[in-house]
Amino acid sequence: MLSYIIRRFFHLIPTFLGATLLAFVISQLVPGDFFTQKLLEPGVRPETVARLRAMYGLDQHWTVQYFRWMANILQGDLGLSFSGNQPVNRVIGEPIMNSMVLVVFSIILLWLISIPLGVYSAVRQYSLGDQLVSAFAYFGLAIPNFFFAQVIVLLVFVLRSWTREAFGFNEVILPVAGMTSSDHSSMNWWEQRWDIFRHMIIPGFVVATASIAGYTRVLRGQMLEYLSSDFIRTARAKGLSERKVTYKHALRPALIPFIAGIGGILPTLIGGAGLVEVVMSWPGITPTFLNALNRQDIYVVLGLLVVSSILLMIGNLISDLLLAAVDPRIRYD
Amino acid sequence: MKRALLSLAFVALGSMALAEPFVWPSTWTTAEPGEAVYGGNLRMYDIGDVRTFNPITSAESTTSRDLIMLTGASLMTLPPDSDVWIPYAAESVEMSEDGTVMDVTLREGLKWSDGTDITVDDYYFRYQAETDPDVGSNGYDSWFIEGEIIQMEITGERSMRFTFPLPDRTAFPVVGSHIPAPDHILGEIYREGGAEALQAAWGLDVNVADTVWSSPFVPTEFSSNERLVLEKNEYFGEWNVDEEGNALPYLDRITFELTGDQDAALNLYLAGEIDMFNPRNLDDIGVINVAIQNGDIDAIVLENMSPVASSQFIVFNWNLASDPWKQDLFRNADFRRAMSHLVNREAIVELVYGGAAEPMWSNVYQVLDYWVDPEVPKFPFDPEAAAELLAGIGFTQRNSNGFLVDADGNELGFRLVTNSGATAREQIVQIFADAAREVGVNVQVQTLDFNLMVEQLTTVGEDRPFEAILIGLTGGSRDWPFGVNVIPCGTNLHMWNQDPSGECIAPQETEASQLYYQGRQTLDTEEAREIGYQIQRALADIQPVIYTVSPSAHYSWRTHVRGEHPEDMISDLLGSREYELTFLAQ
Repeated sequence: MLSYIIRRFFHLIPTFLGATLLAFVISQLVPGDFFTQKLLEPGVRPETVARLRAMYGLDQHWTVQYFRWMANILQGDLGLSFSGNQPVNRVIGEPIMNSMVLVVFSIILLWLISIPLGVYSAVRQYSLGDQLVSAFAYFGLAIPNFFFAQVIVLLVFVLRSWTREAFGFNEVILPVAGMTSSDHSSMNWWEQRWDIFRHMIIPGFVVATASIAGYTRVLRGQMLEYLSSDFIRTARAKGLSERKVTYKHALRPALIPFIAGIGGILPTLIGGAGLVEVVMSWPGITPTFLNALNRQDIYVVLGLLVVSSILLMIGNLISDLLLAAVDPRIRYD
Repeated sequence: MKRALLSLAFVALGSMALAEPFVWPSTWTTAEPGEAVYGGNLRMYDIGDVRTFNPITSAESTTSRDLIMLTGASLMTLPPDSDVWIPYAAESVEMSEDGTVMDVTLREGLKWSDGTDITVDDYYFRYQAETDPDVGSNGYDSWFIEGEIIQMEITGERSMRFTFPLPDRTAFPVVGSHIPAPDHILGEIYREGGAEALQAAWGLDVNVADTVWSSPFVPTEFSSNERLVLEKNEYFGEWNVDEEGNALPYLDRITFELTGDQDAALNLYLAGEIDMFNPRNLDDIGVINVAIQNGDIDAIVLENMSPVASSQFIVFNWNLASDPWKQDLFRNADFRRAMSHLVNREAIVELVYGGAAEPMWSNVYQVLDYWVDPEVPKFPFDPEAAAELLAGIGFTQRNSNGFLVDADGNELGFRLVTNSGATAREQIVQIFADAAREVGVNVQVQTLDFNLMVEQLTTVGEDRPFEAILIGLTGGSRDWPFGVNVIPCGTNLHMWNQDPSGECIAPQETEASQLYYQGRQTLDTEEAREIGYQIQRALADIQPVIYTVSPSAHYSWRTHVRGEHPEDMISDLLGSREYELTFLAQ
């Protein structure tokens, strides 16, 4: 196993170099650069723009820029963001953490919802409940996240109108944007956690719904396969309760693909929650990435790609190792 | 001992009596004298994160950044109700008769937010840092007039002198808006570590509470992409008072939610979590009005308060050596006048902006109404007039496709480019192209990446890679609203003609170039305005740039937010209020 891990580690190096080179080349193919827009500012002389480009090394050949960037990466420095002259590590650090918080929450929510639903659908196959679960799951899969988030925000506003009419209560019950309340800094530690949790509810739920369909269907399929297998018949024949048969004997092996997929979550964590972060103003990776992409703040874009490709490679490795750990049929020696 | 204490008290009183504060006129606010109350937290939003707290290298304009970095002890200020700069942090400003030397004496009692005195050294340090090319300050270019630097020197304990290479009305705002930077902190860093150390100072890692400002509100708490909290600068009130002598500002705190998205900001506004919102369009206004009617929020909405300080226009390429026929066509003033007649500005106002825009005729933004020539030549939508002008330059026949051709059979048409993703611009070019096709002009619409389009537009050469582009510019100064790199031939935003020789082609271009420099050197504003009118007429007559429309600015705030400008002082350039005079009604 150890030799396998070492071998995999050495395979990561050319993959990483190839990925960064490809990303860098693609970034160079895009016309213009961060300072092109400055050319349209009345009052800014073209020689000033040329000087700024030289200051950040953008006037040099892309190969020179790439090797300088690579040399810095090896020292743990992802370069400078042109916007505000700030280190990329600093610019992307907090958004990565914020996205992780949201994604972890949505994954927990996803499991909490999809595992019981998957089990229910399998145990009550073709029942009305099974059909309803499938319908709702596919609805979640089909509706775009950013739109669904707005629909929920709208529902929150409608609910406020209703509570105002009914009880004279004119407040929204859930925060409709952001990660913290404006008086967050004056709260104690527990109140702050609770505040972030409340802000996470809408975006976390929206992100989770997109995957509920897939997870529920996979688990349902796995469960059905195991429920009709010999060892389950044996368990039933031994007189075990149906509850034990379902949850102890069938569910455990059925969860293997989910556990093996934990490694795959790593890059998802940094990939962020997508456009939901933008419309809900969650200070995560997606707004940072889109903003940098729009401005052609390339070292921020590349920095995010580097971190996510490293996590993707480590995640894949963990997935493979976990698979070997939970499935006795797989060995890497 | 008692005598010593008494004499110290006299010294203090003496210096306080000498330090005359700046009095904020009550005409800048709708509040009645004595109505304002102290305290409160004004909750606002900003689109986008704080990029840096370094006032020298900061470049991107956001409300919070401008509030911290652009307000404060500027030497002069341009009042919202007049176009004449008045001394602000300066006690007096004297200009030599030839307009090349300006002597400024600083007001007494100016203080940084850490209580340290603001001195001439702070102004001089900022000048040094901004004019050092290695620092890369955004203010660098403003210190040069036609390539020559404006000199600054300290002439006394409270006095400084600015020497201009030539008299220039655009130099006045450069000095007027000159703001100090703390020499005792950033100056030290600059002297010890040079430009590189200064660039690295006060980045996102800085503890904002350790930064020092001259502005009315100073940052005390910052969470990236989330929130920026500004608190009242207690020392600001020592030299800024209202007409009744009350120290300013009134508010205790301003909290900025850094949302990054206008829709999220609108949701926060509707949820009652922020107090002010700038509606982008009539859709936003509709949503807010419904919320007000439902009783969700109590707010006021001001629609169509002024055109925004930006323009959208079509420009033809006069340097197309590879296609001499088209080059001649694009250089023909009658052709461009005909194209201007085909821009249905009323339709654009209605269809693209839902009525919230105004037709634009001149190269001065409508919001700068003082400078807009009321008699500027106009070429309103008139397909018949366009067809007549085109017939006059030889386009009388149509080909089998229905497009106009000249005597040699050349089809009248061109490729019109705008940037992809700009919905309003895409709609404008489509409205124009449809109208043009009706009279037989084959306009092919194409969208391009923005930067690629800018590169094409700013290419210098005899054969530039585009035919026509629809693009916009923003900005604009109340002192001289003509762009230094737009009007004169040979400058980089003289977009229609970028011949490598830098020479003008049309006589009106030459005239406008000469008038531009003449106007800049005319210090009398009335006279300068007359020259400005002549520039507008010369250029509008030949339509090198065909202006379309100016969208309108809208405002909304919760009713308890008071101290706004009177309505005639609310515009895209002046904003809706002075934050120094803003207060929250109880």
